[in-house]
Amino acid sequence: MKSNKTLINLLNSVLPVLLALLIGAILILAIGENPFEAYGIMFGKSLFTLRGLTNTLHAAGPLLLTGAAIAITFRAGLFNMGVEGQLLIGGFMAGLVGAYLHISNPFLHKAVAFAVGAAAGVLFALIPALLRAYFRVDEMVVTLTLNYVMMTILEYLSSGPFRDQGAGYVTTPTIDQSAMFTRFGSTRLTPFFILALLVFGILWYLNAKTEFGYKIEAIGKNPEFSEATGLRVRRSIIMLILVSGAISGFAGAGHMMSQEYKYTLSFSGVTGLGWDGMLVSLLGSHSPLGIVISSIFYSALKTGADNINMYTSIPKEIVAVIQGIIILFLSIRFLNERFGLLEKLSKKKGEKNGPAL
Amino acid sequence: MSTILETKDLTKKFGDFTANDKINLTVEEGEIKAIVGENGAGKSTLMNMLYRQIPPTSGEIFLRGKPIEFQSPRDAIQHGIGMVHQHFMLVPSFKVYENILLGTEIPDAKLRFLVDSKKEQQECAELVKKYGFDLDVNEVVENLSVGQQQKIEILKMLYRNVDILILDEPTSVLTPQEVDELLLQLKELKAQGKTIILITHKLREVMEVSDSVTVIKKGQIIGNVKTSETNEAELAQMMVGRKVLLTVQNDHSVQESPETIYTVRDLTTNNTYGNVVVDHVSFEIRKGEIYGIAGVEGNGQSELVKLLSGMMEATGGTVHYKGEDITNLWANELRSIGIAIIPEDRYAQGLCKEMTLSANSIAGSTRSDAFKKNGVYDSKKIREHCQKLIDRYEIRIADFDGTVSQLSGGNAQKLIIAREMRSQPDFLIASQPTRGVDIGAIEFIHQQILDFRNRGGAVLLISSELSEVMSLSDRIGVMYKGKILGEVDPLETSETQIGLLMAGAVPQEVV
Ligand SMILES: Nc1ncnc2c1ncn2[C@@H]1O[C@H](COP(=O)(O)OP(=O)(O)OP(=O)(O)O)[C@@H](O)[C@H]1O
Ligand SMILES: [Mg+2]
Repeated sequence: MKSNKTLINLLNSVLPVLLALLIGAILILAIGENPFEAYGIMFGKSLFTLRGLTNTLHAAGPLLLTGAAIAITFRAGLFNMGVEGQLLIGGFMAGLVGAYLHISNPFLHKAVAFAVGAAAGVLFALIPALLRAYFRVDEMVVTLTLNYVMMTILEYLSSGPFRDQGAGYVTTPTIDQSAMFTRFGSTRLTPFFILALLVFGILWYLNAKTEFGYKIEAIGKNPEFSEATGLRVRRSIIMLILVSGAISGFAGAGHMMSQEYKYTLSFSGVTGLGWDGMLVSLLGSHSPLGIVISSIFYSALKTGADNINMYTSIPKEIVAVIQGIIILFLSIRFLNERFGLLEKLSKKKGEKNGPAL
Repeated sequence: MSTILETKDLTKKFGDFTANDKINLTVEEGEIKAIVGENGAGKSTLMNMLYRQIPPTSGEIFLRGKPIEFQSPRDAIQHGIGMVHQHFMLVPSFKVYENILLGTEIPDAKLRFLVDSKKEQQECAELVKKYGFDLDVNEVVENLSVGQQQKIEILKMLYRNVDILILDEPTSVLTPQEVDELLLQLKELKAQGKTIILITHKLREVMEVSDSVTVIKKGQIIGNVKTSETNEAELAQMMVGRKVLLTVQNDHSVQESPETIYTVRDLTTNNTYGNVVVDHVSFEIRKGEIYGIAGVEGNGQSELVKLLSGMMEATGGTVHYKGEDITNLWANELRSIGIAIIPEDRYAQGLCKEMTLSANSIAGSTRSDAFKKNGVYDSKKIREHCQKLIDRYEIRIADFDGTVSQLSGGNAQKLIIAREMRSQPDFLIASQPTRGVDIGAIEFIHQQILDFRNRGGAVLLISSELSEVMSLSDRIGVMYKGKILGEVDPLETSETQIGLLMAGAVPQEVV
């Protein structure tokens, strides 16, 4: 029974990916190229060469964290869709610390930037947390809309008060050398990836081994039971959304100090690291190991896009198409998890497989 | 009489576990068939197969001699088989009539996609009247008592014109008055030609209404008898396989110079609608004493338990335990100072069905060092703890690593009691402790509660089972409309006298 469930979980995650790759393959065939060759290059270069692998891991760092930020709220039946906005403010604030606070000790400088970034994420997450806990306002709607509010505020701040006047485009000043992570050798990998793994590991450990994880599970599965056994549901909901905000802010700060070095309007990339994290979490069924694997897979897909462009005549947009299809399949799953769509549909058809009791 | 329903070698397996083993059941048309058996014997499983809630593993079902194969409960209902579950399946935010008509809404005459709610209300009101139920069809379900909710479940089936009505432990959640009412109603339904299959743990009910009894043990039928040819003791012995004490020996030994351990003073609270539901309640419980609360359901007992177990906040009054003010403490704080809590609703408050047995076994004590090593959870310790509970209380499980949802109703209740007793409390709040538990286990649980009392423990016992309150308690407070109307000594009071108090008669008139 148990192995059956994990199998279904696995299929749930792997199937959308396989289907997406299959549709991608058909498209590649249609342009008259060899899909095996294309995929071989894409994944071979991004996973099986030192350079490709380190690039992939480097890009997976923030995804790992944003994925975790979403997963912990998801498991508790909460939906923090504001990871993107929390990551942006975290990155932006870390950028200000890096550029305006001249701390010569590189450890201290980064530590302060991380702390400020995470704190910014927490403060921003406080709005939906309080609204949810005290007024039962759906956190999904609030966090979703606040993302756009935050984007607009940061656009104003980075093009106005904090604009680097010397640059020819909208950006904040570059952070000090002491706030930049140094790369390992000639790779793009930095100690931030190790740090991200470490934070992820701690979260995983707390989840499996302490009341923190017990609370998440109990609140997600039965709030009344949680209340009756003395787990303060309201307080826990606030705490979880704040922890999620902290991780997101931390991820933003890390991305700032290991990759971007300044806040531009494309700080979080085309799809947005927060949104990608959502995908990663869904793809990994919100489980720790699942998130590790899916964040690496997803970032391999992203880095693979450049290689496809470089080594074949297939347009790199094919990767965007594959991403899009994965997102489509996963959103069906998300809607199902959130609103029980499939259940409702099959119930309408005649309550085929009701519960045992 | 002719046979209406028959099963041949009906079998259900959950993995390697056989819950029903080649069951050959025969039900005659127009009879009331009682099914009895210990917790986990497989009664609900059998009924769930008849109602096609779950598919059989093998075997056949015959309806009026014809083999049938339903695809869904809806299918079963269309063929005239309806079921009311042990755990209700109502939509709490819907009104009564909306629940009755769920899935068979009456469309508006002109606009077919709209619902003709006027007609719906009318039809439901008629239905309620026809069968003599006392129910307002416009009430929202979440405001109703369990007994009223059950009526809706039965009405749902009657509305769909079923011939065979299956009731899975319908009386375990009812007050004595409601039970009598239900039994009368069942007889009435029988008189109107319906066939009824009744699962219950209460042998009195079996004797009172049924025509024949089938006893199930460990997934097999071990006996079929005519009700007129048997008695309670014989049935009990068949079920459990040994002689069972139908009422426990209680020596009511109040100790010398007993010290008060628990004091409630003027406790008051409102519900979400602002009505006073617990009204200046005061009582004291001494060490080595069982204080029972009797009352017709819906007179504030549920709220009182919630107040005392950290699930609801008091607006006035105090609670003192061992001299300390513990008013409005959280449930885990109460547990940490030695108060154990058996909540009223096992699946809403006592257990989390989707969590594992071992996770449920530490609920309420998630901060206890007993389950930790170096400050973090030690899964080995937790599993050992859970195994001990299972062994000690003979909880029947199919899969240790599975979730609580696999447990039968009675076994789930036993898990809660095991967990709460295991914490070695000084004070126990027991709300409906034997609801849905088989007679062998009731004997065991009652004995546990008495032993606990005899070791010097104090107990607050709330039960809608008057005989339970009467036989266990040393003192009884009777609740009426949120107040404690009077306190009586069960040894010197008859059930009738308490019944009068429960109906709101002023104590002086009684004693
Ligand atoms: N979905 C399931 N998965 C695994 N085991 C199950 C499942 N449902 C029931 N069981 C097991 O089958 C057995 C019979 O359960 P059932 O609910 O039929 O008992 P019951 O006779 O109704 O008991 P009770 O009087 O306590 O309600 C139990 O041991 C239970 O653990
Ligand atoms: Mg049952």
